[in-house]
Amino acid sequence: MRDDELRALTGACAKCGTCRTVCTLYPERKAEISVARGKIALIDASLEGKDTNLDAVQEALADCLLCGRCERACPNQVLVEEIIMKGRADAARGIGIPAWKQVVFGRVMPSPKGREAAVSAAAAAQRLFAREIPSASGLHYRFPEKFGLSGRTVPKLPKKGFIASLKPKEAVSGDVLLFVGCVFDHVFPQVGRASYETMKISGSDIAVFRDAACCGLPAMVSGDRDASLRCAEENIRRLRAAEPEKIVFPCGSCLLMFKRNLFSLIPEKHELRSDAVEVSNRCVDYAGFILGSGVVSRLPDPPEGEKVGEIGYHDPCHLTGTLGKGQEAREVLREAVGSSFAEMKGADLCCGYGGTFNIRDYPTSARIGRNKISAAAEGGAKVVATACSGCILQLRDMAARTDPGMEIVHLAELVAKALSRR
Amino acid sequence: MTENAISALRAIFGERLRTSLEDRICYSYDATGKEFLPDAVAWPLNPEEIRRTVLLANEHLFPVVPRGAGSGFSGGSLPVRGGVVISTERMDRILSIDSENLVAVVEPGVVTERLKEEAKKQGLYYPPDPASLKFCTIGGNLAECAGGMCAVKYGVTRDYVLGLEAVLGTGELVRTGVCTVKGVVGYDLTRMLVGSEGTLGIITKATLKLIPLPETAATLLAFFPSNEKGARAVAGIVQERITPCALELMDRTAVECVRRMADLSLPEGTGCALLIEVDGLEASVAREADRVEEACLRFGAIEVRKAADAAGRDNLWKLRRSISPAVRQVNPVKINEDIVVPRSRLVEMFAFLSDLSERQDLKIVNFGHAGDGNIHVNIMISGKDEDERGRADKAVEAVFRKTVELGGTISGEHGIGIAKAPYMEMEVGPLGVSVMKRLKNCFDPNGILNPGKIFLEESAVRR
Repeated sequence: MRDDELRALTGACAKCGTCRTVCTLYPERKAEISVARGKIALIDASLEGKDTNLDAVQEALADCLLCGRCERACPNQVLVEEIIMKGRADAARGIGIPAWKQVVFGRVMPSPKGREAAVSAAAAAQRLFAREIPSASGLHYRFPEKFGLSGRTVPKLPKKGFIASLKPKEAVSGDVLLFVGCVFDHVFPQVGRASYETMKISGSDIAVFRDAACCGLPAMVSGDRDASLRCAEENIRRLRAAEPEKIVFPCGSCLLMFKRNLFSLIPEKHELRSDAVEVSNRCVDYAGFILGSGVVSRLPDPPEGEKVGEIGYHDPCHLTGTLGKGQEAREVLREAVGSSFAEMKGADLCCGYGGTFNIRDYPTSARIGRNKISAAAEGGAKVVATACSGCILQLRDMAARTDPGMEIVHLAELVAKALSRR
Repeated sequence: MTENAISALRAIFGERLRTSLEDRICYSYDATGKEFLPDAVAWPLNPEEIRRTVLLANEHLFPVVPRGAGSGFSGGSLPVRGGVVISTERMDRILSIDSENLVAVVEPGVVTERLKEEAKKQGLYYPPDPASLKFCTIGGNLAECAGGMCAVKYGVTRDYVLGLEAVLGTGELVRTGVCTVKGVVGYDLTRMLVGSEGTLGIITKATLKLIPLPETAATLLAFFPSNEKGARAVAGIVQERITPCALELMDRTAVECVRRMADLSLPEGTGCALLIEVDGLEASVAREADRVEEACLRFGAIEVRKAADAAGRDNLWKLRRSISPAVRQVNPVKINEDIVVPRSRLVEMFAFLSDLSERQDLKIVNFGHAGDGNIHVNIMISGKDEDERGRADKAVEAVFRKTVELGGTISGEHGIGIAKAPYMEMEVGPLGVSVMKRLKNCFDPNGILNPGKIFLEESAVRR
């Protein structure tokens, strides 16, 4: 590692230990190497030229959910997420990015057609290797242990993604663009559809950003900043051409990428920097749009005899924590479902997904996720709404394992349901 | 450490012993910012594993350094002579909370706030509250005899320890003290171990005293034009015959560093702020809060704010608790001292500090538990300038001399560790140091436990 920027960032850590109190992973590991303070010490040691093992440092940096809780608690405002992501990128430069990641991040993710093809192939593989299971929560396949997937349950991939299912005459350009995101396009197209249909009620000129590249977050957190930059450049160029007033994100992680990470990725001298600022300023979260655009006032009154507290809201770390967008979703829920919504126990606890973390250490990811589901169930929640694709993947898997009756939905699905009562 | 010693340790701990450079780096620091690499890190789960480790250490002569959360400010948990770090973070069970006898029995790795929370659920109160309570551990608190914000009314960690279980430097497991309110059988070995910084024994279990939870509390934030005015108000409040449960002073720079945490605006002319909390019965707290407010205004407060509710109180506390790490915004290197002077001499001490800062051209940030005369004097330096470093060292010594001259002590709550070892004799004298060393020899004849701490010269532990 030889990054001066990185050294400047880590220098702010006073080694006080505050990060130990809030780390999602620390209760699982109970070792200093799992918390920000330890990882920062490791990066510093590597920067100072100490004889650290690059594989071991990369391993330590990969062992993080990037939930950002430490960063928000830090009295010195140490930019932990940025440090971890930069550290991963530096380590990846030294070790190399695995070939499969290079293909996925570099070729598949930036291209809408590439993703469509990859999802079709995955759907075929799923039919061949996984076992279909009945589940109220919409999960349909359980992978056998021998595939190294620890018996995880995954959603049945649809034959057609949301964007592919759009009719040609459905809006192709508009003042407000829906950035649906890979997961809500290909895995849960019903979320893409619900977001789109409910946004249309606003009366604004709504269109779907059809040829979007992946937001670039998965590549960035994996240390592949080049691939992430490629996604960002594709998106910014296309958005600049479309010139929407607003870009709406149903997924908190995609939004984080545009609102914050874009700026560490695109250097100040980059030709697209000013466009990136412009685009970023126009990006809003789904709940924020629904609240501000008049959709809420068109929602019918919640039905009589509702069950108090049956519906909860899970705070995605990136959306509520890092971007501070937690109240908007709650207000929308109150309007859509009335007192069926109540604050859920442990609402702000990380679900344990962490993107690539869920792949590298599924058992730990699952333990954290199960705790989340138990906390929700303890408080009587039967439906958990949220607004991030990673959280939905994780919570559905966990609910299928521990509490199959619990339904995990996107906020937009509940808004769509409320509107259907009109 | 020899390979034989490492493999003998591995036989005890298995996977819970780590020797990779990466794991050792993560146990090489604490909040002092200094680093010393251990040879190994072990995570014991019970006293027996610690006992066997110390026996091995006596056989192979390697240092054993106990460590809680590594949040100390005096280097108490730093492995300055290498050896094995014994991290107690996995021995973190609260074994019992006995609401009939008002005692709790805990393992050393319990995070202080967790014990406070669990006690609270039963209407009980464990008062010690170091600023780091959210992450520091009871074991570390006991070893360093941590203080905190409420020491002015409730005392420090030492005042809540009834009995201990500890592994001595000989590898013997000793039980000290009582589990009753009273007990005068022989020497007070419990008090001997508390504050001994892991040099006499490694605490494996503690019986702690609890008290009934105060019914309510009120928190005030008063702004004064200068540290001296604030210090006068401290004496004024005490003369009102009120014992606040917290009486914290923060100078202007300290408040500036943490304003963001509490979204706080400062009235014009603020030179210092006092955070004052009174607790007790509903009926008395409101009256006491009013009297505190009156006293502050009488002693020259520019403005006094009262927290309206629990959230407001939390906000003010967040402000205070964030200061210590946040003052690094002033300059990257913090020389952090925790002197105590008699309350009546606080004004004199602050005048001395502001003069010192000017004379030596050093940035000095002061905050702390003014209510008990305890000030955290933080000399903030760039760390790059040799001359500045020299001036800072001189300033530290001058602060200690003045403290002792005023009848105070050079460490109220951080302990001696490595940071204050050179100044020990200044306060306790040569005989004091000599008696302490003789005691150390009884508990730890081979100098196995946490060598390099408290005393300047060290018994010969081989690595």
